[in-house]
Amino acid sequence: MAESAMTRRGERERYDIKLLQVDWGFALVLSLIAGIGALVLYSVGGMSWEPWAYNHVLRFGLCFVVMILLSLIDLRWWMLLAYPAYGVSLLLLVAVELVGDVRMGAQRWLEIGSFSMQPSEFMKLAIVMALARWYHEAGTKDAVLSWKLFIPFTMIMVPVLLVAHQPDLGTAMLILLTGITVMIVAGLDWRVIATAAVGGIVAVPFFVMFVMHDYQRKRILTFLNPEADPSGDGYHILQSKIAIGSGGLLGKGLGLGSQSQLSFLPEKHTDFILAAVGEELGFLGAFTVFALYALAVFMALRIASLSHSHFGRLAAAGVTATFALYVLINGAMVMGLAPVVGVPQPLLSYGGSVMTTVMIGFGLVMGVKVHRYQELPRTQSFLSHFE
Amino acid sequence: MSEPSIFFEDVNEKQGTFHRRIFLMGGVTALGIFALGGQLALLQIVQGGKYKRLSAANQFNFRVVPPPRGKILDRNGNVIAGNRPSFRVLIIRNEIDDLDDTLDQISYVLPQVQDNRRRIVRDINQSQRFVPTVVAADLTWEEFSRVNLFAAEIPGVQAVMDEIRVYHYGGAFSHVVGYVSKISEKDLESEGENPDPLLLHPGFRIGKQGVEKAFDKQLRGVAGAQKIEVNASGNIVAEDPDGTRPPTPGEDITLTLDAEVQARALEVFEQDSGSAVLLNIHTGEILCMVSAPSFDPNLFVSGISSKAYKLLNEYERRPLLDKAIGSTFAPGSTFKMASALSFLDYGIDPTEKVVCRGSYRFGNRTFRCHGVHGAVDMRHALKFSCDTYFYHMCNRPGVDRIAATAHKLGLGELFELEIEGQKKGLVPTTEWKRTYFDGTKGRPKDPKWHPGETLSVAIGQGYTTVSALQLAVYVSRIANGGKAVTPHLIKKIGAVDKDFDFKPLGIPPEHIQIVRDGMEMVSNDADGTAFRNSQLNLGDMKMAGKTGTAQVINYDRAGTRKATQWKNKDHGLFVCYAPVDNPRYAMAVIVQHGIAGGRFAAPKAREIMKVALLKDPELQARIVAPPPPEPVEAAETAPPEVESTEVAPESTEYIPPVP
Repeated sequence: MAESAMTRRGERERYDIKLLQVDWGFALVLSLIAGIGALVLYSVGGMSWEPWAYNHVLRFGLCFVVMILLSLIDLRWWMLLAYPAYGVSLLLLVAVELVGDVRMGAQRWLEIGSFSMQPSEFMKLAIVMALARWYHEAGTKDAVLSWKLFIPFTMIMVPVLLVAHQPDLGTAMLILLTGITVMIVAGLDWRVIATAAVGGIVAVPFFVMFVMHDYQRKRILTFLNPEADPSGDGYHILQSKIAIGSGGLLGKGLGLGSQSQLSFLPEKHTDFILAAVGEELGFLGAFTVFALYALAVFMALRIASLSHSHFGRLAAAGVTATFALYVLINGAMVMGLAPVVGVPQPLLSYGGSVMTTVMIGFGLVMGVKVHRYQELPRTQSFLSHFE
Repeated sequence: MSEPSIFFEDVNEKQGTFHRRIFLMGGVTALGIFALGGQLALLQIVQGGKYKRLSAANQFNFRVVPPPRGKILDRNGNVIAGNRPSFRVLIIRNEIDDLDDTLDQISYVLPQVQDNRRRIVRDINQSQRFVPTVVAADLTWEEFSRVNLFAAEIPGVQAVMDEIRVYHYGGAFSHVVGYVSKISEKDLESEGENPDPLLLHPGFRIGKQGVEKAFDKQLRGVAGAQKIEVNASGNIVAEDPDGTRPPTPGEDITLTLDAEVQARALEVFEQDSGSAVLLNIHTGEILCMVSAPSFDPNLFVSGISSKAYKLLNEYERRPLLDKAIGSTFAPGSTFKMASALSFLDYGIDPTEKVVCRGSYRFGNRTFRCHGVHGAVDMRHALKFSCDTYFYHMCNRPGVDRIAATAHKLGLGELFELEIEGQKKGLVPTTEWKRTYFDGTKGRPKDPKWHPGETLSVAIGQGYTTVSALQLAVYVSRIANGGKAVTPHLIKKIGAVDKDFDFKPLGIPPEHIQIVRDGMEMVSNDADGTAFRNSQLNLGDMKMAGKTGTAQVINYDRAGTRKATQWKNKDHGLFVCYAPVDNPRYAMAVIVQHGIAGGRFAAPKAREIMKVALLKDPELQARIVAPPPPEPVEAAETAPPEVESTEVAPESTEYIPPVP
């Protein structure tokens, strides 16, 4: 609506200038991670671009372009769309609950025409945007401790419960932890944090025993004692640890990992791809991947801290939190430190929806970088700025 | 609006809190990544070795390649027990989902599977899940190729070719060579904690009897291994020729047995029950050890049906029993050489004569002889098998001296035979009676040895029992001039020859000569008890022997001299050696319930002995250049059927007290 108006606003509004402002170093780190992913997918695909590596590269390329394009969008658009996006995602989650397609025992997919999607993926971004906007508009005191915190809490819990009910415990946990992280970085009172932490720890056993589905409970118990049934439920964890451990310092070499090549490793191209990295590229390879992830997180957090708008800060921090949680949960799961929850390793694992979510999120982060000097009004009437 | 400016009073505060918190978040993330890196280092560097091994164990499987079982050969290298190829179909339970479905699919190709389905399901359920179970064995080549073509599409089904034991001589060697059969739980337990994986192989058979059992370890060989690379579903991806170890075949065992003699022996027994043992008197080599009737050991290799087993087991003539070493019988008159040698040892003059009037009065009892022999010395007492002579003489040395001589000659002794199953039998002594009849275990209390009981012992009746092997050793020791020859079965294991050297028993040669004279007269004097049935017709080669008839029931009590039921008939025995002038072989034949030794056992002994003599290279030379023909025609001068059917005293256990 206001393209001509935007170009008229000085240097920073020009796209060529904006493109220069894009954090290309950050983009390079993400590309490196995706590149290692493609390499390992090439290997576990039987040293072939089919069926995974080629698609992975193509998908990342598309998402990369989308990320760069999104980074050029004014933060006000993001803020404007925050609540509607959240609302639509919530509606879709309810729709899944009512008419969703059951796949692999869980109700996660929504079919629209020939296009199927998982609304829970959208929710990961929408919750970050919505919370960022709420905190942007809220007062400092409200963010620390007030009855108003009931609102962001509800904003988090409603989708969490909906997703958990599907049941997709991994995503629900991810949304919950992302939301909590945003609340914490927004300035939540330490006493609340401490109380919630203690309450959470106490509640976990009850949750495991009474709320969880059998298969979920089994996963937890298996995690606690994987060697009890190495050919049954402990199989995934054990085989994954064998794959990683047998890689040693330098790894067995691309295409030479017996665990991944001979299918001992389950889900070697998706959730357990890190184990294939560990087996074939060794400690050096896997550690490099972790280092790149750490680097990406720190670059993203730096971008968050550079922003002049509270929305920008919280949005970037929230997206980064989602990303970091993906990395940590998947890493812990693959190495036997957490139960198998079905969380992939972002950018490394094969699979479209997580890549899309993460790269759209990073588009927002990039946007925060590009528009880091942009001030955003606290009031609802910020639309006037487009005039 | 190009520079940051402050619109709201609390923005700085918000920003400050955010910066502190975002720093914290970075720290927590760093901590998390650090922890992951630590776990990574732990798994890959600290525990890398362990996981490398686990990975290799995942990737590679070792498949047991069974070794060919060692062959069992006779002394001339004829294969008694060998191997033949067998095509089989196996099922591995933990590789299949639905057993019923799989069996349905197999029986589509192999209809016989359907017939044995219950047994197969039972076998599969009884064995461990990863151990293959035989579904069908001994397939024809056509069936095998059909399964092979088809089985590739059924997971968990394998068509394999391996070897199976085969016994070429049927029943001739069943008892002495034994047989192999499927390994039982008990066999497996006795192998200890970690049994050789070979034992779990479905084609593996373990020796169950005779030589197969005694030398199972040597015959078994060492299993080879085939290193195969498998994927997660257990399918073979590749074979690794470097990791493949070929099996070491089991050692061949050469027996002292001669297949021709052995086969002939089983043949001459026809339907009769009994045993024959033929020894080389100088080396102790057993050339023939047969128990009749026999059974086909091949039945046991692939698993005998319970019906067939029941028939074998319940048959009156006991085909499963090894009557050569595992059954003992009263020796009857064949014992008389031992008695005679003890008389000589005691100093009795062999020319001293005893008048036989058909019976002998001892105390207030009459012991009968089977004939009226007149005045007989020791040689003639043996020749006619005159019981009276032995009744008269036996209490001079007494039972203990008789028993000592008998033991010295091998009766009532266990030998270091290579196979299991010997029974010791009994040559009674006063000491034995004192401890045996002590009034316990339902036995009467009668510890005193009665002199009347010695009379029974002297003629091989009463408590005395011996095995055919003992009798053969006993005759060998007489025939070889009193050397302590012991029997053995194994000529060589692998390439090692066995050698034996026997010590003299300390019996003066002149004593032995007297006994041998007597035995020669039995067979070669026209009125000897076995003259007619001892003629070898091998030129000047003669055989010397001794008949024996051992009573099974007490006729006095039965009221008749004839037993009508087979199981009540007398045992017929015959012991002999040949050639008389330069003895080489000795043998003992027992025909269970064979009525009389001279009539029924001696012809068998003669036929078996003939084969052995004809096969002996040195003796063959003598036959090729035949000496002048015999002047005496055997048949004409043959005496009436005089047999040593000596009658045991009415009761060998009780002598009625003198009133």
